[in-house]
Order: sequence, then structure tokens, then C-alpha cells
Amino acid sequence: MRVVIADDAALFREGLGRVLEAAGVHVTGQVGDAEQLLARVRADPPDAVVVDIRMPPTHTREGLDAARRIRAEHPQVGVLVLSQYVEPHHAMQLLEDGASGVGYLLKDRVANVGEMVDAVRRVAGGGSVIDPEVVAQLLGRRRARNPVQELSLREREVLALMAEGRSNQAICQRLFLSPKTVEGHVRSIFTRLDLAATPDDHRRVLAVLAFLRA
Amino acid sequence: MNPRLRLALALAALAGGLVNLALLLRTGHGRPEPLAFLLLVIVGVSWSFVGAGLVAWSRRPANRTGALMVAVGLAFSLNGLRLVGTPLGFALWFLVATLPAAVLAHLIAVFPDGRATTRLQRVFIAVNYATTVPLALVQLLLVEPARLGCGGCPDGLLGIGGRRPYGEAVLAVSGLIEVGLAVLLLWILVTRWRRASGPRRRSLAPVALVGMVLLVLYLIQEALLVVVSRPAPFDVGFDLAILTLLMLWPLGFLAGLARARLDRSAVGDLAVELGEPLPPGRLEQALARALHDPTLQLAYWLPDRHAFVDAAGRPVELPTAGGDRAVTVLRHDGDPVAALLHDAALEDDPALVRAVAATARMTIENERLQAEVRAQLEEVRASRARIVEFGDAERRRVERNLHDGAQQRLVNLSLALGIARSQVGTASEEEIALALDEAAAELRHTLAELRELARGIHPVILSEAGLGPALASLAERSPIPVTVTAAPPDRLPPRVEETAYYVACEALANAAKHAHATAVTINARQHDGRLLVEVGDDGVGGADPNGSGLRGLADRVAAVDGHLHTDSPAGQGTRITAELPCES
Repeated sequence: MRVVIADDAALFREGLGRVLEAAGVHVTGQVGDAEQLLARVRADPPDAVVVDIRMPPTHTREGLDAARRIRAEHPQVGVLVLSQYVEPHHAMQLLEDGASGVGYLLKDRVANVGEMVDAVRRVAGGGSVIDPEVVAQLLGRRRARNPVQELSLREREVLALMAEGRSNQAICQRLFLSPKTVEGHVRSIFTRLDLAATPDDHRRVLAVLAFLRA
Repeated sequence: MNPRLRLALALAALAGGLVNLALLLRTGHGRPEPLAFLLLVIVGVSWSFVGAGLVAWSRRPANRTGALMVAVGLAFSLNGLRLVGTPLGFALWFLVATLPAAVLAHLIAVFPDGRATTRLQRVFIAVNYATTVPLALVQLLLVEPARLGCGGCPDGLLGIGGRRPYGEAVLAVSGLIEVGLAVLLLWILVTRWRRASGPRRRSLAPVALVGMVLLVLYLIQEALLVVVSRPAPFDVGFDLAILTLLMLWPLGFLAGLARARLDRSAVGDLAVELGEPLPPGRLEQALARALHDPTLQLAYWLPDRHAFVDAAGRPVELPTAGGDRAVTVLRHDGDPVAALLHDAALEDDPALVRAVAATARMTIENERLQAEVRAQLEEVRASRARIVEFGDAERRRVERNLHDGAQQRLVNLSLALGIARSQVGTASEEEIALALDEAAAELRHTLAELRELARGIHPVILSEAGLGPALASLAERSPIPVTVTAAPPDRLPPRVEETAYYVACEALANAAKHAHATAVTINARQHDGRLLVEVGDDGVGGADPNGSGLRGLADRVAAVDGHLHTDSPAGQGTRITAELPCES
């Protein structure tokens, strides 16, 4: 798997590069800003890019915008956006153009190498990755009437994993459940939350997150 | 006052006097000289009171003083009944003989307001009238006519004759009641004089001083009656002195009115004084002089603040109605310009206050503008100080959070790493891995804390994505349910966005911390070149707009030329509204 890393902090870039290389990922390029990233992707499209959301010149959302352009220009390249903050708004913006091949993770996650490499593989494979913190924040939101409260504990776990972008199969593995049981939970959740059922995992992420943000 | 009524009253007084004079001429030589002379003076007193009363009544129709004076005058003309010369005439006169004194006592007791204002006054007036005709009737029934002053009257004047064993007792009790009433009236006069302020004394003086002298004379006369037996010339002398004073007393009142007219010349003096440029603050003194009220205060209206301020820009509380202080508000096109806070006594002459205010209008308007500028300056100074103070407090808070949180955790982390390092070579790999895991956990907590701290200093989402996403994010993190009902779809100037965001933040913090709210609604919409941010909760209300939180918020809003309104009735939730100008 071929990956390009974009972050203006050289130390972090190289550290992440080393971690990914050690896990068998081929890092084809390391760049310090969005323009270089776009140029590198155009010249030699990798399987995925890992990009920090804040980069020069304004240090606000260059990484996010670059990620969206890459998704538009090179649909086969997965993008994983890293951020110091948890902002559901950012996650939604990424997902807006289609949830496949995009990921949004808290930068702290690099500490867990396995998790990090798994996330890169998922976006490279066209999956979607949403940081558990984002999901936790949305699930923990106080509201006057909260249908999520009416779900069973197990259903809430399944809902959280769906929101993180996990497929049914991944959910089975995580929760040690049979595919039939997971499918049953998913159906039940969609009925109770009054959501239109969708067979597509990507659209499912979007639907669940949109529901949680509403 | 109705001119016909005035004419009728004047004619009645004239007729009453003339009848009295006619009676005097008819019976003149048969009567003792002093009494005839006294009656002449009484006619003078009657006319003097009615005349002065009518003048006062016309000048101040709302004040009952004039009507009371006319009543005193008419009551005095009843004295002619004494000259009718028959026992029945004497009895009739005797029944109403104390009425003039009673009405006069009423007038003195309520001057210059024209109506009773204290309980003591009301009690006095009631007792005063209750003891006139009824007491006279009791005397007529129970006392021998000769003792009442009718030497030629037959015994059994009203059908009762013979011995009257209680006669002397009745006279003694009656005398005590009269003396008691006189003392009470004197007490009322003295206390009112002592409590009266400058302008009130001015109007009280011509009446109160004469009234006091009259009462003292009366009391001396009564005291002499107790000590010595009744020496007729002495008695008549005192009566004469009292009546002469009475005749002059309405003239004193007219003199008082003339003084009021003199005050109008003070308006002219004021106009001349205002012709020259006044040093700041001198206008108040000039107005105080013109109105003879050294306590006069001038307050200027600030439309921005919807409040009155003094010349230095400090807020002024208006007195409530019914107290010692009264207020005259000057308006221009219906909008308040300034207010004169003065002694309530000046309300007797509102025309004078209005004349003074009209004369000073231009200067007042000028000073108002200056006061407005000074008030703004004062406000800016205060808010600048508060903003600096707030910034300092905020930096101290950040330092404390860093010190107690992240720094402490990093020290722990360095310790954990040190331990792990020391274990290399001596401990098992699992033990070293455990130590490293602990270090990693500490690091995760540190990062989480720093993230929260950094967000508190400035929410990145705001500058990055704008007000709408920032409000949504705020709502997502809130410990109480928040609904954002509207947010502007477009980006606004950064300062406007930030101010709006902090209004929502602070209002939300208040709702959670102090108001114990269970639901909050945030509405931010653009209207007419302004951004309106409304945050409403369903909490306990009663938020203090001058508390440090809301005060700081108001400063923030004022810094972008906006306005902050807090509507927080106790028990009915809080609604905080910010109006921010934004051209976009």
C-alpha cells in the first residue's frame, strides 16, 4: 500500500512515516503543505494520503480542503484527515461529498500504531473512518427528547460502531456477535430511530451521523 | 374658578358685612362701646379674608386654601347675629359663634397644601368641627345665660329654666377642650415649620408665624382668665389685638403671593445669567437660585442608556411620587431632555418651575450633550478598566489551569519515563511495557486537557467555519439541551462572529451554572444590517445585568457598538439579546 503524508511539522511527519513503514506501508512522499500534497498526488497518485487539517499558510483548514479536492479529482485515493480537535462539523464536511474512502481521526491516535494503520488501510480500501471521540460526543449530546436513550445498551454499541464507519462484518468481530444478530440489531436501530434502511455502509455512516447531529 | 361663583361669593360677603354694619348703626348707642368697635373690626376681617381668598382661589384653583379663606370670611360675618338684640338672636349667634375660629383653625392646620396630609391633621380637623355647634348647644342648655354673656336674656332661653347645677363644670370642660385644640394646632404648626425645607418655609412663613402669634395670644388670654376673674376691658383688649392681627393676616397671604410674583422676576435674572457662557456645573446652581431651592438637582436624559445622569455622567435615581422630593421632566418633541429634581413644595407653583425650565432650555440641552459625552467617556473608561481586568483574570486562569493540569501531568510523565528507563536491564519486559503504558495514558490525559484549554481560549471552528458551525459545536458540548433555531448561513466580520459566539457561550454558561435551566434556545439572525443573537432559557431567572459575567459581556458587545439586553424576571427564565451592527 502506497501512502503520502502531509504535515507542516517535519518531526511528526517523519515519526508517522517510520511507524507506517514499520507496519509494511510504503510511504511514497512526505510534504509540508497542501499545494505540495496536491502536486504529489497528481504526479503519482498513492492509495491513500494522511493529512493534517491545519497547515500553512493560514493554519486553519487547508488539510480539509485539500482532502476534499483529492476526493473529487482522484476518487481512487483514500484520504485520512488528522486533527488536534474533535469537530463533528469537520467530519460531516468530509462525508458530504461521499463517505467512501474518507477518514477523520484525532491526531492522538498515532500513539496506537495498530489503530492508525488499520484506519489508513480502511480509507485506502474505500471504507470510512470516523474517530470514536466524534461519535462519543454526538451520542453524549443532551437533548430534550432523545430517542437514542430508548435503545438497548447493545444497540447503542452497534450504533456507535456504525457511526465510526464500521461494516457489519467489523462489528461482528468487535462485539463477538454472529452476522445475523448484528443485522437484527441494525434493523431494530433503524426502526426505532425512524431512519430509512440502506444497504450501503457509506450512506449508513452519513445517515447515522446526520441523525445524531440533528 | 367660575367668575359667576366669584361674583356671588364677593356679593355675599359684601351683603353680610353691610347687614352687620346696619345692625350696628341701628343698635349702636345702646351697646357698650368696645363691643361695637370689635364688630366693626370683625366686618373688616370678614371682607379681608373673602377678598384675599378669592384672589388665592383664582390663582391656584386646585389648592383649597382660597376656598377655605372665603369660608373663614363668610363665617365671621355671622357675628352680626349678636346684634339682633333678642334672646333668640343671641342663642343663634351663640350656636355658630365658634364656627369662624374653627374654619380658621382648619385653614391654619392645612396651609399651604389646602388639604390634610398627616393623620394628626385629619384628627385635629375632625375634633375641631365636632366641638363647635354641639358644644355650644350643650352650653346653652346647661349654663345660665348670664354666664354666657347675655345679661338681659331671660332664664329658660331654650325652654329650660331654674337651677343648672352642672353649669360651671360644663364651662370648665369646654374651656379645656378649646385650650387643648389650640395647643394641638400650635404643635402642628411648630412641627411643620421645623420640618419644612427652604422653599416650603417661604410659602409657610407669612401664615405660620402670624398663626403662631395668634395662638399664643389666645392661650395667654385663657390662662389669664383662669388666674384672675374676668376683667372686661382686658378681655376686649385681647380680642382687639387678635382681631387686628386677623384682619392683617390675609394681607400677609397676599404679600406671600406677591413674593411669588417677585420670583418670576428671578426668571428674568436667570435669562440674563444664561446669556453669558456658564462654567460647567453652574447651571444647576443658577436654577437652584431662581427657584429658591438649594437642594435642586439637574439630571440629563441619555437616550442610549434610557437613564438620567448628573453633570458628571453618574446615574441619577428619580424620586417616587408622594415623597419630599418631586421631579419636573423637560421634554422636547415628547422625548425627555432633562429632569429637575426639586423640593415637593415647588409643585404648588408648577408654572414657575416650567418658566424657569423654559428659560434654561437651550443651556440645559447644551449641558445635556456635554453630560452625554462625559457619561460616554466615563463608561468607556470603566469598561476599558474592566476589559483589562478581565484579560488579566483570564490569563491568571489559563496559567493556573496549565500549572495544575498539563504541567503537572508532564512532570508525572517524565517521572514514569524515568522509572521505565531505570528498569531497563533489571526488570522484565512486561514490567517495562506496563510502565510505558502508564506513561502513554498520562500523555493521553495531558493532550485531552490541553485540547479543552485551547478550545476555551479560542474555538478554532469559529474562525475556520463561522458562527453557524461554532454554535452547533457549542450546542453539542453543552451539559444542558440546546437548540439552535437559526444561524446566519454566510460568514460575517470576525469581530461580529466572535462577539456573537461569546454572547451565546456566556449566556449558556449562566443558564447551566446559575439558572438551573433544562432547555436553552439560541437564535442568531441577520436583520436590517444587524446581527441579532437571542439566547433564552427556562431557568429561575433573576440574572443580574451588573454581575461580572453579564457586565463583561455587555462591555464586549459595546466594543463592537452593539447593545446587550437582559430580560430575566424571577421565575420566568432569562432572555439575553445582543444587537450587533454588521455590514455585510
